[in-house]
Amino acid sequence: MRNPSLSRRWLFPVVLLLWSTFGGSLLAQTLHGVVRAADASPLPGANIYLSTLQRGAVTDPAGLYEIDNLAVGTYEVVFSFIGYRSETRTVAISPGRNRLEVTLQADVVWTEEVLVAAEQESRLTVDTRSVAILDAAALDEVRGQTLGETLEHLPGMTALQTGPSISKPVVRGLHSQRVLVLNAGVSQEGQQWGGEHAPEIDPFAPVRIEVIKGVAGVEYGVGAIGGVIRLEPLELPYIPGTALRGQFSGNGFSNNRQGAAALYLEGVANRLPGFGWRAQGSFRKAGDAQAPHYIIPNSAFQEQNGALTLGYRRGAWNFLGHLSHFGTELGIFSGAHIGNLDDLLRAIERGQPSTIGTFGFDIGPPKQLITHDLASLRSRYTLPTGARFEVQYGFQRNHRQEFDAHRPYSDSLAALNRPAFELSLLSHSVEARFHHRPVGRFFGVMGFSGMNQLNVNGRSGFLIPNFRSFSGGAFARETWVNGDWQVEAGARYDYRWVRAWPRENGGSGDFVPRVNDYGSLSAVLGAIWQFAPAWSLATNLGTAWRPPSVNEHYNFGVHHGTAQFEIGDPNLDAERSLGIDVTLRHDGTSTRLEVSAYSTQFQQFIYLYPDPSPRVTIRGTFPTFRYAQADARLTGFDASVEYDLNRTITLGMVSSIVRGQNLDDDEPLYQMPGDRLRLVGHINLSGSKTVREPHFEVESALVARQTRFTAGVDYAEPPPGYHLLNASFATDLQVNQTPVHVHLSVQNALDTVYRDYLSRFRYFIDDPGRSFVLRLSVPIGAPRV
Amino acid sequence: MNHLLKSTSFVSLFLFMALLVVLPGCDSGEPDDDAGESELITRVTLTLTPMAGGDPVVAVAEDPDGDGANLTIDPIDLVPGTTYLGEIELFDGVNDEDITAEVEAESDEHQFWYTAEGGIAGRVTVAITDTDANDLPIGLTFTVTVTAGAATTGTLNVVLSHYDESPKTGTDRSDESDIDIDFPVTLVL
Repeated sequence: MRNPSLSRRWLFPVVLLLWSTFGGSLLAQTLHGVVRAADASPLPGANIYLSTLQRGAVTDPAGLYEIDNLAVGTYEVVFSFIGYRSETRTVAISPGRNRLEVTLQADVVWTEEVLVAAEQESRLTVDTRSVAILDAAALDEVRGQTLGETLEHLPGMTALQTGPSISKPVVRGLHSQRVLVLNAGVSQEGQQWGGEHAPEIDPFAPVRIEVIKGVAGVEYGVGAIGGVIRLEPLELPYIPGTALRGQFSGNGFSNNRQGAAALYLEGVANRLPGFGWRAQGSFRKAGDAQAPHYIIPNSAFQEQNGALTLGYRRGAWNFLGHLSHFGTELGIFSGAHIGNLDDLLRAIERGQPSTIGTFGFDIGPPKQLITHDLASLRSRYTLPTGARFEVQYGFQRNHRQEFDAHRPYSDSLAALNRPAFELSLLSHSVEARFHHRPVGRFFGVMGFSGMNQLNVNGRSGFLIPNFRSFSGGAFARETWVNGDWQVEAGARYDYRWVRAWPRENGGSGDFVPRVNDYGSLSAVLGAIWQFAPAWSLATNLGTAWRPPSVNEHYNFGVHHGTAQFEIGDPNLDAERSLGIDVTLRHDGTSTRLEVSAYSTQFQQFIYLYPDPSPRVTIRGTFPTFRYAQADARLTGFDASVEYDLNRTITLGMVSSIVRGQNLDDDEPLYQMPGDRLRLVGHINLSGSKTVREPHFEVESALVARQTRFTAGVDYAEPPPGYHLLNASFATDLQVNQTPVHVHLSVQNALDTVYRDYLSRFRYFIDDPGRSFVLRLSVPIGAPRV
Repeated sequence: MNHLLKSTSFVSLFLFMALLVVLPGCDSGEPDDDAGESELITRVTLTLTPMAGGDPVVAVAEDPDGDGANLTIDPIDLVPGTTYLGEIELFDGVNDEDITAEVEAESDEHQFWYTAEGGIAGRVTVAITDTDANDLPIGLTFTVTVTAGAATTGTLNVVLSHYDESPKTGTDRSDESDIDIDFPVTLVL
């Protein structure tokens, strides 16, 4: 090393020579095989580790593994998997391919350390993007509210509220057509045409929820420009002999006197080994919500949902069928149905409802009646090589009726009791995926998907025109895993054809067909590096796009509640996002954290801008908003940190900060959530045999005022920031040897008067006040492990 | 061979599913001609008859699509020193139906508001002459009094307030205006 330049000059030819001479024979050996459980079923996700080389692999979903580039010689190989006893084998690697099959025996006692280690591994490498997860246990503590409210506590998440009964999840400032909801593997196709249209999801469904924040277009297609919310049903019981089991949950809220109950049962058919089933149903009914000083009139709702899941596994085949029904009737605060701009300004000035009503469970107009039915069939076929095919078919029918505040003058029309508008959206979707067998350290999947949609209006008014669309896409993604590194890359092409039937002159004239088609690419490149034990650093660079939706193209009319006259633009182009995201994760003995910074650049971001010339009609004057496009950027920071002070006390912090800017006119984007900080103190109390794991939690939620807005555009400036105090106590009570989970909480304990900037009713009314909540869940049969 | 067979059956399954997606595509989704028709006030007619006799002044505001695209509002010429008997009529052009009678039938939930603005403020006074079952004003009939004086211009604002959220008290407009029109008014000598 006396002369580094000389030694470097020599190094390359020497390595090349060594490589060409010996490389082929020295390192061409592979070790491959399958890891199975005692019942011969494959074990996906098992670890294979060569201790002398400090190298390893993980089995794929078919239990197959492959380790390549091994030199001839003898190695010690450790096979391990959570819940199973580890096996150590000594294997002599001879030239070429070496096969080693291992059967792992189930460990009777799942030690806590094993569980923790496996969870830690998966938390650190869950995704190259920032991900927030709500598992079944965490969900039990927040059940009974809408999807938006359920997810609101997660870093980077906020909710766009329309009164107490409607809330849309907002991922890093984006929502509606920019966030995809994946329900039981099928992309949820509801009527997401406005802020007051919430996703049609049963809050009691036995699922695990994952929120993937950021661009996820390659895996999930055109909707996933800002994020994906995945609801994956819990695994069915398949093992023969499993006893009937299930769960009953119930809850009550004092504020709107909401009562809710849900039940699911699952089991197997002992005469048909490999068959598993689950049936589930839930019911919610709530009265008018109460702000600290008054009742919010007509905010009652009721909801009934049901689902049936059937699964069958035999040999290389696996079938999963899922049927679900969602139905809701919800009242909308009637004071928000505004005549025109003058009326709106008077309501804002008044600052509270024009009449202070009395509490009730009645749902009067204006109201929404919504049903969503889903049927999906998924099938998987695994080849002996470990490659596998998956296909999926999904059918969805979404039916939405919205009833106006007052009935028509004409008695003959009133007698028909028609909704102000009625839409029904039918979607058929199909998807096929092929996972190739693991080649060395490469895992990969390719696939294609297609969808056919028909949207039809009822006989009453039009919100968006009828349309028919066909979409198709093809993608491929590879992941390379090597020790501390995981690198993924993928690309996708999507095409969409839409024929809509708007009226010729916006609001009048004949219906004329207008066809648009779009096609473009999405791509992703990401990496995770476990740079130290219990630490990982992930980064993701992704680009995705979406075609303009039908409402952005053809909306023409007054938007109830905000007195906005919205006008679509049939010439809008597709919008594209390019995002970069860096996430630091730590899962240590006393500290857990996920901190993520991101920046997403949008080309042709579609947004509503105020047209300076208002619309004068026979009903008065309305401010005009037109859909337009501009380049935009969203930058932000999400963090969640948990620190165990000692065995009793854990402190937590969740923060979400996002900045949105229209780059063309250098103005802030409209309706970006204010900065948020949640501080949580968690205290484990000492329990007993009958009162298990009691714990107490205090939460302080701080929301800053949104100070970044364009003055003079909105009717009212963003409301002031606010602070909410929440507290809860939870425990498992042993009642006749059944652990009954009891969760008692108080939301907005100080009955703080506040209005959130993302509440669409912030012009008229305060957000709801204090509520005491009792949640109970009782396992039926043997509890799920 | 067995696996090949299974692969083939798997491909058939997929093709069957794909067929399920493509087949329903035959319905074009074209709306019926009469689809999307709801009640719409498209025409408001003011008829002002001089109490002392003479030809009535008729002014029409028409918005055939309800969206302001083809909104026309007739100007009104009034003579200073004259009192007129006023009448208002509402018409739904979509369903071809006069809905004045319906407003009268639901008069406890409706009230018209007439406001003189601009140069005619203080010169033109509108007094409602009809009342509902609760003895509160309706506004389907009214008088318009124009004081004597110089020629000027202004607007007469006509609003129909709908009260089913807040009760009608006769003193305040509601947040639901079913019509809101500014008629240009000229006082001509």
